[in-house]
Amino acid sequence: MKRLINLIVNNKAYEIAVAPNRTLTQILREDLNLLGTKEGCGIGDCGACTVILNGRPVNSCLVLAVQANGCNIQTIEGVADGNNLHPIQEAFVEYGAIQCGFCTPGMVLSAKSLLEKNPKPTEMEIREAISGNLCRCTGYQKIVEAIQAASKKMKKK
Amino acid sequence: MLLLPRFDYEEPKDLSEACKILAGLKGNGKIIAGGTDLLVNMKKGLVSPSCLVSIGRIPGLSEIEPQNSSIFIGSNLIVAKLTEFALIRKRYPMLYEAASVLGSPLIRNRATIGGNIVTARPAADLPPPLIAMGAKIKLKNKRGEREIELEKFFKGPGETIIKQDEILTGIILDEPPMFSGGSYIKLGHRKALEIAIVAVASFITLDKPDGIIVDAKVILSSVAPKAIHAVSAEKTLIGEKPTNKLIEKAANLASGDCTPIDDIRGSAEYRCAMVEVLTKRTLTAALKQAKKSR
Ligand SMILES: Cc1cc2nc3c(=O)[nH]c(=O)nc-3n(C[C@H](O)[C@H](O)[C@H](O)COP(=O)(O)OP(=O)(O)OC[C@H]3O[C@@H](n4cnc5c(N)ncnc54)[C@H](O)[C@@H]3O)c2cc1C
Ligand code: FES
Ligand code: FES
Repeated sequence: MKRLINLIVNNKAYEIAVAPNRTLTQILREDLNLLGTKEGCGIGDCGACTVILNGRPVNSCLVLAVQANGCNIQTIEGVADGNNLHPIQEAFVEYGAIQCGFCTPGMVLSAKSLLEKNPKPTEMEIREAISGNLCRCTGYQKIVEAIQAASKKMKKK
Repeated sequence: MLLLPRFDYEEPKDLSEACKILAGLKGNGKIIAGGTDLLVNMKKGLVSPSCLVSIGRIPGLSEIEPQNSSIFIGSNLIVAKLTEFALIRKRYPMLYEAASVLGSPLIRNRATIGGNIVTARPAADLPPPLIAMGAKIKLKNKRGEREIELEKFFKGPGETIIKQDEILTGIILDEPPMFSGGSYIKLGHRKALEIAIVAVASFITLDKPDGIIVDAKVILSSVAPKAIHAVSAEKTLIGEKPTNKLIEKAANLASGDCTPIDDIRGSAEYRCAMVEVLTKRTLTAALKQAKKSR
């Protein structure tokens, strides 16, 4: 039986009827048309489905939409300010930290959560923070460099 | 895209309602906490409960409550919080160590301590340190509540003594004794998202900072169907003054205390050799802490 749930996604309130067996990834992509959140493995291994749920980055493929009822969610679509990219997104572009882009939304959201808690992370702390996000193309070096650059950029602001 | 089979969903507001729902389901229902084990198993078609009962909205199940000479950890507390509370890091460092190597930061933000226990994977990260520290757990159903030693909870891979209608409400950890220390080391092929090849949790208590060992627990994980005691290593340590030689002897005995299997993550021979190395390292770290503690 479908249930009515309330979500705040990227500061916008939604009321949606969902079947209990649909994941948060499915609702975001199929019902809200927010296609930035990707599904890779579907079982918690790759991090392509990362979203920020009540302030914490999680694998949305392992969250039931009904479990997220009443929660505040940020997806990659909510990171830029209109046409102005977030400093982390700018740094990813600048440092060549994106190739196919499949891992990028998850990487950016994991990096954003890290920098909000710890504005000046060490290289090890950065690697640890993105350790649940797998990238098949770029190699992690450029991604780590981009996050380091973003940390510097954000401190100046 | 991996799809979930159909199921009903219940979200009880308190424990007694949850117990009633579970009893009514007569074994066709399952509790969902973080879902990081259950949803994976359901997506793979390994289990298909007709109803999931979420414990996520039950107040008091997601907190740590300090009590007189112990703490109560609610079963629905996420693993990330075990790495964030200063109380855990300071007083129960080996639990902190185990929590910080579980899965990935993303998994730790959903995975719960209760789920890690009830799922009873032979390589689960939290049971070894909890057993080494003598943790007890509370199980509740419609008829009442029972408290048992965590150690007695596990039967084998995925098997425990929990009844179909029981809920694990929390974990009780006594305050560690004076002059005690513990350490947990997990060996994997990589640092994140890794199932242990071997893991060892050691906990020792001295009678005074430079005294003799009055209690020793060496728990080996991933080398048997469930976490086990390195019995002969523990026997050797108790009553003795800790020296490097004694630790080496205990570590060597520990590798004889286990009967691991060969699998894709490592051969039995390699696992035995690593049990020795990790036992030595964890005992050395535990001793250092015990000498310093209060
Ligand atoms: C990518 C990935 C990596 C992982 N890495 C690790 C790792 O490194 N180390 C490790 O130990 N584990 C790991 N796990 C396994 C899992 O994340 C943990 O075991 C986690 O702690 C399970 O908790 P949960 O809340 O998600 O449990 P759930 O999936 O919600 O539940 C697991 C089982 O326990 C039952 N249950 C849960 N809570 C209760 C309760 N209060 N009372 C009664 N029954 C209950 C459920 O019915 C279910 O059968 C990993 C999982 C994934 C997907
Ligand atoms: S799709 Fe969720 S972790 Fe891979
Ligand atoms: S850029 Fe292709 S997976 Fe990371």
